[in-house]
Amino acid sequence: MNPKDNLVIGIIIAILIFTSFNVGVDPTQFVKGIPNLMVVVEEMSHVDPTLLGTAFWSMIETIQMAFIGTIVGVAISLPLSILAARNLYSKFVYAPVRAFLAMMRTFPSILWAILFVIMVGLGPFAGILAIIMYTIGFMSKLQYEAIEAIDSDPMEAISAIGVSKLQLIRYVVVPESAPHLLSQLLYMFDYNVRQTSILGLVGAGGIGFYIINYIKFFEYGKAAVFMLVVLTTVLIIDWISVKIRDRYIVKAQKGVNIKI
Amino acid sequence: MRKMTEILTADNSFSNDSIIHMYDVWTSYDGKGYTLQGINMSVENGKNYIIIGPSGAGKSTLLKLVNGMVIPTKGQIEVFGRRPNIHDNIFKAIMPKIGYIPQNLGLVKNLTVMENVLIGALPRISKVKSFFKIFPDKEVSDAENVLNLVGLEDKVKRKVYMLSGGEKRRVAIARALVQKPELLLADEIVSELDHVSAKEIMDLIIEAKHRINLTAVMIHHDVQLALDYADKIAMIKHGNKIAEFNPNEMRYEEVVGMFNSYES
Repeated sequence: MNPKDNLVIGIIIAILIFTSFNVGVDPTQFVKGIPNLMVVVEEMSHVDPTLLGTAFWSMIETIQMAFIGTIVGVAISLPLSILAARNLYSKFVYAPVRAFLAMMRTFPSILWAILFVIMVGLGPFAGILAIIMYTIGFMSKLQYEAIEAIDSDPMEAISAIGVSKLQLIRYVVVPESAPHLLSQLLYMFDYNVRQTSILGLVGAGGIGFYIINYIKFFEYGKAAVFMLVVLTTVLIIDWISVKIRDRYIVKAQKGVNIKI
Repeated sequence: MRKMTEILTADNSFSNDSIIHMYDVWTSYDGKGYTLQGINMSVENGKNYIIIGPSGAGKSTLLKLVNGMVIPTKGQIEVFGRRPNIHDNIFKAIMPKIGYIPQNLGLVKNLTVMENVLIGALPRISKVKSFFKIFPDKEVSDAENVLNLVGLEDKVKRKVYMLSGGEKRRVAIARALVQKPELLLADEIVSELDHVSAKEIMDLIIEAKHRINLTAVMIHHDVQLALDYADKIAMIKHGNKIAEFNPNEMRYEEVVGMFNSYES
């Protein structure tokens, strides 16, 4: 630890205190608020089991939305990620594609949802469109980074055979980046289920619609049912993805033949 | 700059049978230092031309000049009567005739042995069919024959990342042979193998050479191996070709002495 480090740490602490004061951070409020939280927790404990059926079906709707959004989004992102890869296309191709993808990622899915609710009206379709948009932006980035990380040796050696660009993509780029794809797909689906759960907040379908409305009317017990269903579902999906990952991705690395 | 007359006389000295001509070739990656400095070389049809030299001498660059992966800063090259350039559409028609086995082999590790070998046939297959991995029966049976030749007939469906180092080399050779090349470029293909395996691989290439009329340009680390298999040997040091000789003209000790002593 030299004096310069101490100075840097001191400056960071000063900025932290200054900004906290600016935005009104008040730790005493937090402590005082604990009893309020207890009230909510107490009310939430009066869960309304009659709503379990509704919660279940709205969760199924949410998962379906996330599924459609993930699959369609990923399908669109694959060709885009190839066009965005610097080791495959010239600057004139990848630069505009990258700018477009960055723009799609800039908005969180909830903002896309607001946009699509205005466009196609309330309901799950607006939510699906929002998920597709966000998935395209996010997946393309993961995928073009995976493509750029491909070993350049087979690319060079196989280019030297005189194959076409499409053949190079089909026989080198796709197989060499595919193992990442499965893992990323699972991650994206997992992420999208959680995203879709809150899209109902702006009326774009799914289970979030119920949660926000029950909270608005202070019916915490009813909201709790829906929140528990979300929690359970996310845990189950997480568990299933771990299983799939173990079975296919880990084994593939260990050297068991799998079909991709 | 050399005079045009000199270039013309130099060209006349090449045998008409040569498929690679290099005249005063210089290469530079950064525009400052030169990796190769004024290389003259000519490789005759059907011959086995072996390049030896210490690491960093510019041997791999020399090989990449032949298939157009490296473009000379100055000087002239002709391969099959064309100036090699991997980005040139006219040269693209010649590229399938040149089998290239890089030092790191350049295999697609997530594809099977068979798929890797069939990549060599891609320039002959229509784009649509190859996209769906549909290959004519003739190509598949040719690939099977080549895999028999290299002794991988029982590993056809195995993914490449599961193979041993020696097996991967055989896949790379098979891929190059399925191209039906007229010229084979191999960069240190046996360098990491023990002597027995190295001889096996070399015998395999020589056998294939006799079956099809194949010219080979290979880089080797092992002087003895070069003396055993070459029709002509070139020694490269510090980017210069310091010697070119027939294997029967020199004894092992002489070559090794030259290999170790010469400083430019």
